[in-house]
Amino acid sequence: MHTIYYSENAKIDNFANRLKRSHCVFYPEVKSCEPSKETDYSYKKFNHQQHLVFNPYRTIEPLKAFFTYPCEKVAEYFISEKEVVLPSVKAVVIGVKACDLAGHKVQDFVFLEGVEVDALYRIRRENTVLISSDCTDFKKVCHCLAWEIMPYPLDGFDLNLSPLNDGYLVEVGSKKGQELIEEFREFFTPAKETQIAARKVKREALVERLKRHLLPQNLVARNSVQRLMKQGYALDTWKQFMLPCVECGGCNLICDTCHCFLLSEKKAGAQHEKLRSWDGCLYANYARVAGGANPLKTRAQRLRNRFVKKFDFFVDNLGMPACCGCGRCIEVCPGKIDIREVLKDLDKKLAATS
Amino acid sequence: MKNIYRPIEATVEDIIEETPTIKTFVLRPKERFAFKTGQFIELSLPGIGEAPFTPSSDPNIKETIDVTIMNVGKVTSLLHAASGGIPVGIRGPYGKGYPLEQFAGKDIVIVGGGVGLAPLRSLLFSLFGEIDKYNKVVVRYGARTPKDIIYKQAIPGWSKKKKVDVAVTVDVGEPKWKGNVGLVTTILKDLPVDLKKAVAIVCGPPIMMKFVNMKLLDVGFKPSDIYLSMEKNMSCGLGKCGHCRVGKFYACKDGPVFTYEELKDIHDIWD
Repeated sequence: MHTIYYSENAKIDNFANRLKRSHCVFYPEVKSCEPSKETDYSYKKFNHQQHLVFNPYRTIEPLKAFFTYPCEKVAEYFISEKEVVLPSVKAVVIGVKACDLAGHKVQDFVFLEGVEVDALYRIRRENTVLISSDCTDFKKVCHCLAWEIMPYPLDGFDLNLSPLNDGYLVEVGSKKGQELIEEFREFFTPAKETQIAARKVKREALVERLKRHLLPQNLVARNSVQRLMKQGYALDTWKQFMLPCVECGGCNLICDTCHCFLLSEKKAGAQHEKLRSWDGCLYANYARVAGGANPLKTRAQRLRNRFVKKFDFFVDNLGMPACCGCGRCIEVCPGKIDIREVLKDLDKKLAATS
Repeated sequence: MKNIYRPIEATVEDIIEETPTIKTFVLRPKERFAFKTGQFIELSLPGIGEAPFTPSSDPNIKETIDVTIMNVGKVTSLLHAASGGIPVGIRGPYGKGYPLEQFAGKDIVIVGGGVGLAPLRSLLFSLFGEIDKYNKVVVRYGARTPKDIIYKQAIPGWSKKKKVDVAVTVDVGEPKWKGNVGLVTTILKDLPVDLKKAVAIVCGPPIMMKFVNMKLLDVGFKPSDIYLSMEKNMSCGLGKCGHCRVGKFYACKDGPVFTYEELKDIHDIWD
């Protein structure tokens, strides 16, 4: 059981303001607020003496954007191993949600494990404090529960905030989090049993609401997706759902688990650089090799590749499907391709033929 | 900490013209660089582009690395236009390479198509270096026309070695060509090997590997005894960038050499 503290709103504001002296602090801000639409939240840099905004659900941006960038320099020609300097900024990200943390397990697996560690990613990971928070509401596209992810963080955070009355319960999830509490002891008092019980009630109430929202959607079960990929490979679902795809790659880029990148070169005066850019498997040239051969020639093949990677490859290699139910890809798609509907279509067609 | 994307500087020391479209580049790295046969490197023209290649030289030679390259794309056409002395970047080596320990005591059939003989030449150097460990080496090579044959000077020498049997064929002959004419599959009949202890190592264009694989299965090779090189768009070389996925594997870190046994249930492997 993690240690839990309580802190009043004003103290949390002070805490964030104090963190700002030693860290770049990012926190969610209201991005768009039209009464007819859902309010969106977006990360901003915390500047002056400010009040923290609590985001009831996830931000627009995926968490990965703090650890790999859409396009950045990763190496220079030619420097020796000793001369390599990895830029390191100490950062705090506030308002991360459980879906982001679940998705981030995929990023950690890719960049921190395997044959080699990505040093740039690792240093950013080490220098970044993740302060997550419970969801108190959800977006229409949210479906974390379908992936057996609760709408409140259980692990993967340094500190987690649960709003309660005029303050927050602050749960410690790591050594890094514990050190911050000790450094800023004046802002935190140990939580009372009654407060922890109240948090439980609030959490359960949200889960019930989210369940009622998801039940009519009849989403496929988490443990069936690998079977859907293996048995549904030749179904016409892929062709049917790719028709409105405009190959913008938005679904890939906004995805918390999508990690693909392309290395490229940049002429920078006398000094040449190696760049790393986010890539997406929905782009036509994603798998193309020199000479022109392309194993993913059609949009249907590429859409299928995205799903097979998430629901077959990662189940085999990481033991979990690479979807956290954040629904960002659903919101971003100009063709209204819905990951939930693709899975349901495969399931329905396979059930009809068996 | 080690930056996995850092290229090591190397100089192009020599350029050997193999065919009108294929050249061998002799690279001299400025830092220590060792590879196992079958592993690949990422070779870059600074500021221009990077592409994966499997060295064609003897891995026991530590000072230089040969890379035999066909002119097919952006990086390769610029490399072909370059002259000796230019600096290039290398990263790696990546991948698992050929599992030489699995080949001990075996009859080893090596089937190459076109520039696909390049990585196999590196393998041959490794096998020749410890020929007593292996029972027999049978080389079967196919090129489009006689002038597309690479390592023309070296091949006759290979067939003179003990325990080595070499045959070459061309898809289309020409008046002076006295050798075999036909696809490489036509010289895979009646292989002088004992199928109970034979392995086959294949490298070439996907379409060639597809038919060679079919032929080898047909003559009685087990799927676990056929080793295939997967050509994919390998960008990082380390299983991170995602491009070279083959089923549950990445060609770069789990391959690029796989047995057909590992690949046979994966869709569209020859595309």
